[in-house]
Amino acid sequence: MQYPLNANRSSKLKHIVRNPFLYAMAVPGLLFFLVFSYFPIYGIMIAFKDYNFAKGITGSKWVGFKNFDYFFTSDDFWVILRNTLMLNILFIVFTTAAAVVIALMFNEIRNKYFKRISQSFIFLPYFMSWIVVGMIVQSLFGGEEPMINAWLQNMGFEPINWMFESKLWPFILTVIRVWQGAGYLSIIFLAAITGISEDLYEAARIDGASKMQIVLRITLPLLVPTIMIMTLLAVGKIFNGDFAMIYAIIGDNSLLYPTTDVIDTFVFRSMRQLHDFGMSSAVGLFQSVMGLIFVIAANWVTRRVSKESALF
Amino acid sequence: MRQKQSAADRTFTIFAYSFILLFTLFCLFPFLLMIIGSFTDEGELIAHGYTLFPQKLSLDAYKAVLQSDVLFNGYAVTIFITAVGALSALCISAMLGYSLANKRNVLQTPFLIFCYLPMLFSGGIIPFYIVVSQWLQLQNSVWVLILTLLCQPFLVFLLVSFFRTIPEELEEAARIDGANEMRVFFQIMIPISKPILASVGLFYALNYWNDWFMGLMFVDNEKLFPLQLILRRMVSNMEAAKNLIPAAAAIAVTPPTYGVRMATTVLTIGPIVLLYPMLQKYFVKGLTVGAVKG
Repeated sequence: MQYPLNANRSSKLKHIVRNPFLYAMAVPGLLFFLVFSYFPIYGIMIAFKDYNFAKGITGSKWVGFKNFDYFFTSDDFWVILRNTLMLNILFIVFTTAAAVVIALMFNEIRNKYFKRISQSFIFLPYFMSWIVVGMIVQSLFGGEEPMINAWLQNMGFEPINWMFESKLWPFILTVIRVWQGAGYLSIIFLAAITGISEDLYEAARIDGASKMQIVLRITLPLLVPTIMIMTLLAVGKIFNGDFAMIYAIIGDNSLLYPTTDVIDTFVFRSMRQLHDFGMSSAVGLFQSVMGLIFVIAANWVTRRVSKESALF
Repeated sequence: MRQKQSAADRTFTIFAYSFILLFTLFCLFPFLLMIIGSFTDEGELIAHGYTLFPQKLSLDAYKAVLQSDVLFNGYAVTIFITAVGALSALCISAMLGYSLANKRNVLQTPFLIFCYLPMLFSGGIIPFYIVVSQWLQLQNSVWVLILTLLCQPFLVFLLVSFFRTIPEELEEAARIDGANEMRVFFQIMIPISKPILASVGLFYALNYWNDWFMGLMFVDNEKLFPLQLILRRMVSNMEAAKNLIPAAAAIAVTPPTYGVRMATTVLTIGPIVLLYPMLQKYFVKGLTVGAVKG
């Protein structure tokens, strides 16, 4: 029953045979990853093939880098790459900034009921599916007479034809993202703030520091490592467009593609509408590789900042 | 002992309260719009759109929606995949997490790497689509909606980091008393992990309740549409809302399509919102454990 320290192959095997349950428990989960994660990784080879449904993955003809050529030389490539990065940067910057301010202000709230109720409502949007969000957005901006326009006109502004103005959508999407995600992130920041030693605050109060000074000189600086880690985690995923969000909100409104089409929605569309499996999986592979590079880089930086926060 | 606040401190406190209040209203606004919209008279919705202060209220939208087989069916599908999916996912993840966290597992490192790699590198949706629909032939079944979301590395690692905080002595003592692996897991590990298991189970349940991507990819049969997919059809398509209103329900001259859109949305998020006050603390716990332990 001892933990085999210098286990060689046969004693390892013996341990497995003697404790089958410990290993059997892992099997269903491992099988899931094998089938739904590793089989598709094997299937990546279709990025280099002329994929044919009848012939399947292994039977289709190899075409080298033809699928990549087609995509990388098209104008679409730069547009969707720019959109993916730009939207993610907007999301990261504004969600983080909002979450930090919420957490700092929230920490000042002393009224128990106000605190509990407001936290519940701020966190609530995180639980909504993007379809529900899409429905709300459609109700506000869509239709012949968008509701937003009625308000604009009441305030004396010109109505805007929202579904044609692709330039406005990165900002609308950012506002939606802040609405949905800032509360969630603020809870993580708030947990970090709770961990700050009370002694520091006590000392500052004795020295006559004002509340604002305490926030700016103690709470915020001590929150910086957590902010950095959450940001790095997000930067690691910067090549992943948020398919669920963008597709649920923008859908197939091609007028808005110039600023909102991201890698993931492009891949989905080329699969669904063009049935171009080779090209779309080439784009997917490009994304996975860039994603991997960014995750490793972000992790490397995270390790420098705080070893225990690094993913690996 | 309360000290008297300086004027600057008081201003700052007022600012903090106002900021949180405003942000809370910002978060709340779409929900209010939705709920009020679902109770607004259709004629007014057509004339003025959704508003926070309708002049005439009406229950027509709910009357129409609640008679609809489509929505009822969607509820059945969603409840089934959420209940079966979340329970199975929780069992599988807890077992995997226990095995991964156990120091006696001689295959710990290879197992951990095996579960970790999918977080770093994925094959992308095209090979995934081919595997699920061509190799496994799972399309157009309720199982595709359950199986494809059965295990999330992030939640498994949340459990691993929790199991690691349980003192080894506890397990060893039970073992010396003659408990086998199965008993250690079911009678010691599971009972002391209840709060974290609740958090993980709820995250899985939420994931199943809110999923529509798997349905969009693999399900064409409308009988198998979960709620989210029924709602999705209505987002851009006004006509889809009319399909929900049974022909027999001669409620008004104009079918309440605007109201129905909102009523369906309210009914889709209803269970989450109703259960939310009770479940919130488990979500917060799950999040903060994950954040602190990485």
